Amino acid sequence: MTSTAVATERGATEREETKKASSLRMFAQPIVVVVLVVGVLVWAFTRDLDAIEKQSINAPVLLDAVWDHLVISFVVTALVLIIAVPLGIVLTRQWARASAPVFLAIATIGQASPAIGILVLFFLVSGWEGLWAAALPITFYTLLPVLRNTMVGLQQVDPALVDAGRGIGMSAFAVLRRIEIPLAVPLILAGLRTALVHAVGVATMAVFVNGGGLGLLIDTGYKLSRITVLITGSVLAVALALLVDWLGTVAEQYLGPKGIR
Amino acid sequence: MSFWDFVDDRWSRLLSESLLHVSAVVQCTIIAALLGVTVGVAVYRSPFGSAVATALTSAILTIPSFALLGLLIPVLGLGAPPTVAALVLYGLLPIVRNTIVGLAGVDGAITDAARGIGMNRFGVLTRVELRLAWPAILAGMRVSTQMLMGIAAIAAYARGPGLGVEIFAGLVRAGSANATNQAIAGTVGIVVLALVLDGIFVLIGRYTTSRGIRGQ
Amino acid sequence: MASEIQLTDVTKRYGRRKPAVDNFSMTIPAGEIVVFVGPSGCGKTTTMRMINRLIEPTSGTITIGGEDTSTLDPDKLRRTIGYAIQQAGLFPHMTVAQNIGVVPGLLGWDRKKIADRVEEMLDTVGLDAAEFHDRFPRQLSGGQQQRVGVARALAADPPVLLMDEPFGAVDPITRGNLQDELMRLQGELRKTIVFVTHDFDEAVKLGDRIAVLGEQSKILQYDTPDVILANPADDTVAGFVGAGASLKQLTLRRVRDVELVQPEVIVSTQDEPDEIRRRLTDAGRSYALMLDARRRPVAWVHVREPRVRRPIRDMVAAESTVQDALEAILTEGGNAVVTGARGEFKGLVEIDTVMAVIRDLRETV
Repeated sequence: MTSTAVATERGATEREETKKASSLRMFAQPIVVVVLVVGVLVWAFTRDLDAIEKQSINAPVLLDAVWDHLVISFVVTALVLIIAVPLGIVLTRQWARASAPVFLAIATIGQASPAIGILVLFFLVSGWEGLWAAALPITFYTLLPVLRNTMVGLQQVDPALVDAGRGIGMSAFAVLRRIEIPLAVPLILAGLRTALVHAVGVATMAVFVNGGGLGLLIDTGYKLSRITVLITGSVLAVALALLVDWLGTVAEQYLGPKGIR
Repeated sequence: MSFWDFVDDRWSRLLSESLLHVSAVVQCTIIAALLGVTVGVAVYRSPFGSAVATALTSAILTIPSFALLGLLIPVLGLGAPPTVAALVLYGLLPIVRNTIVGLAGVDGAITDAARGIGMNRFGVLTRVELRLAWPAILAGMRVSTQMLMGIAAIAAYARGPGLGVEIFAGLVRAGSANATNQAIAGTVGIVVLALVLDGIFVLIGRYTTSRGIRGQ
Repeated sequence: MASEIQLTDVTKRYGRRKPAVDNFSMTIPAGEIVVFVGPSGCGKTTTMRMINRLIEPTSGTITIGGEDTSTLDPDKLRRTIGYAIQQAGLFPHMTVAQNIGVVPGLLGWDRKKIADRVEEMLDTVGLDAAEFHDRFPRQLSGGQQQRVGVARALAADPPVLLMDEPFGAVDPITRGNLQDELMRLQGELRKTIVFVTHDFDEAVKLGDRIAVLGEQSKILQYDTPDVILANPADDTVAGFVGAGASLKQLTLRRVRDVELVQPEVIVSTQDEPDEIRRRLTDAGRSYALMLDARRRPVAWVHVREPRVRRPIRDMVAAESTVQDALEAILTEGGNAVVTGARGEFKGLVEIDTVMAVIRDLRETV
């Protein structure tokens, strides 16, 4: 009883803190992103570049890297969305509830394992290279937040609302579609944002399986001892992650159901 | 060579890499905890300070680990320094956030009572507030540890210590006989160690939390 | 439009434990409010939920309007039964209008008809359509939410209404208002209503009949409030009825049913103070009731200070219960002023009249 009360109170404070922090980020993050991108590009392009650096620090190569990076990230997000949300819905149905812990355990291990390890193992076992060699293991790695949030989001829907829905004559499917899913959307979106940020982060390692992306600049800069390339790649990757995170936050704010915003 | 033969063959090396991995993560978690609790204590009374600290630390968490490493190499060189810096930075958020939440969650009546019986500000903080917030702080450390176990693997790229070495060795030797074994040993080893550490945290929680506030 | 509900030998058993509802049989007459009242966990909600098949009976039959519910599709069945629950169960992501329009929507009504019906229902439950139409549930007070809940339950004009402690979560004053409102609605609509509560006073106030239920939904007594109050079937029911049964019976009698007395001296706001004093002295009285030009009660005036108008703090209407009148008497001292539909003065209820009602209730039942 007491511990429940404490937990609820903690929950409330935590939400409040998180809310304030996120509104601060809503405002500051895009500015930081712009400053980082403009700053590093001006810095890199105005430096005296040698021939090797010039091969990396030029518009087509940078755009290519960013593009590859985005493609991997969005393929991962799409896969996560297609797999985790339906799986989360199925695992919260009465008839499948018993199997939920198994899937959660697998997803937990997926996330507890080192991203680089999963990436390398998949590469070694499958022999694939490129986009899919990066996207599939990263998907596995990022599945958990969306799966868990989908399940929690559906489980936390007030049973009285489900009862009311059934009581006034909605079918089980109608209750799911018109009540449970809309009410779980905020948490699903939050999970998706986390997944997307993870994906952008791990996608920097896609370079190890020849998947391109901004990691390519980091790796090139490191291997060839070209600090300019190393820093440009790193800063752009940071900026991209912050940007995607910010876009996710904005989406969360505007896509959630109105009545519970 | 089968995986178990491989493990048998490289046992002492794997063992020392495991120890290095765990010790790097544990030490960095402790440093992150010292920093994080200090930051939490400094800001928890101010809503704005709390928001800034939470926003900053969670922004750090957004940064791709490989990119952070890339930024640290030019500054700190290779080996232990960039590894420690990266791990400490990533470890901060869960601890800072949980410290703030834990301290803010302490019932005002309890701190009032503590002041009332003559404790000074420092006494209230160390003997009452931090004791009550400890489960939350410990939970933050537990989350940090789990996260750092995975991130530490990438540190091997900058010649950092630990099981990540095996993963990168496997990558470099792709196609050779033991490449997959090495990658498996590194990856699975980290997962297993992370689970062991998690279990240890549960035990620490059980023995360091006041029985008065332990959940039933 | 209403239907009789008949439950015959209905049993609900979970696993091997003793049944939650054991062999329950009851006829719920068309157009009446039947209240299931009993301690929590006695199975009253389970019994109610079997009527719309939210819970499937293990055995027994339930018919509504003569039709066996087990032969119908459960979802379609529920669309024809209104359902209102505690805290309203409004969908937080839907507006008030969307909430009310859900069932008509499920029944495939066209947009125009749904929109008209929503306006009508808002009006019926006393909410201003323009103001509340687009609000979300969290922007409403508890009482307003309950009203929307009732509107949603009634939206498709179901012949039967199930209400599971619908007013359980609101403050006593709001609850009183909602109960009055429900009675007014029922006066017009004449639905068959099954109402579950653990509040016996609520049961007495609302029920045409009350079923006092014990463990496993055993019917301890099923009768009109009058009879249960005056003649509890056994000690358990008597315990539930509680102390002050006679006082509770006062809620069953209306002011219009009792004899009103006229004050000796009635004066008008136009009368001069000297005139008022003279008339009171002549009649040998100390107080006069002052009415305005439209015969609405304004104040009491005392013989020694005919200029001072002492406001009437508590008045009752002809439709009020005798209990309300008793409360007014206790506030005012001596008697309660009764007004008619337009606020005009009807007469006074005196404490002796109330005593007579109590004596009468004790003897007749």
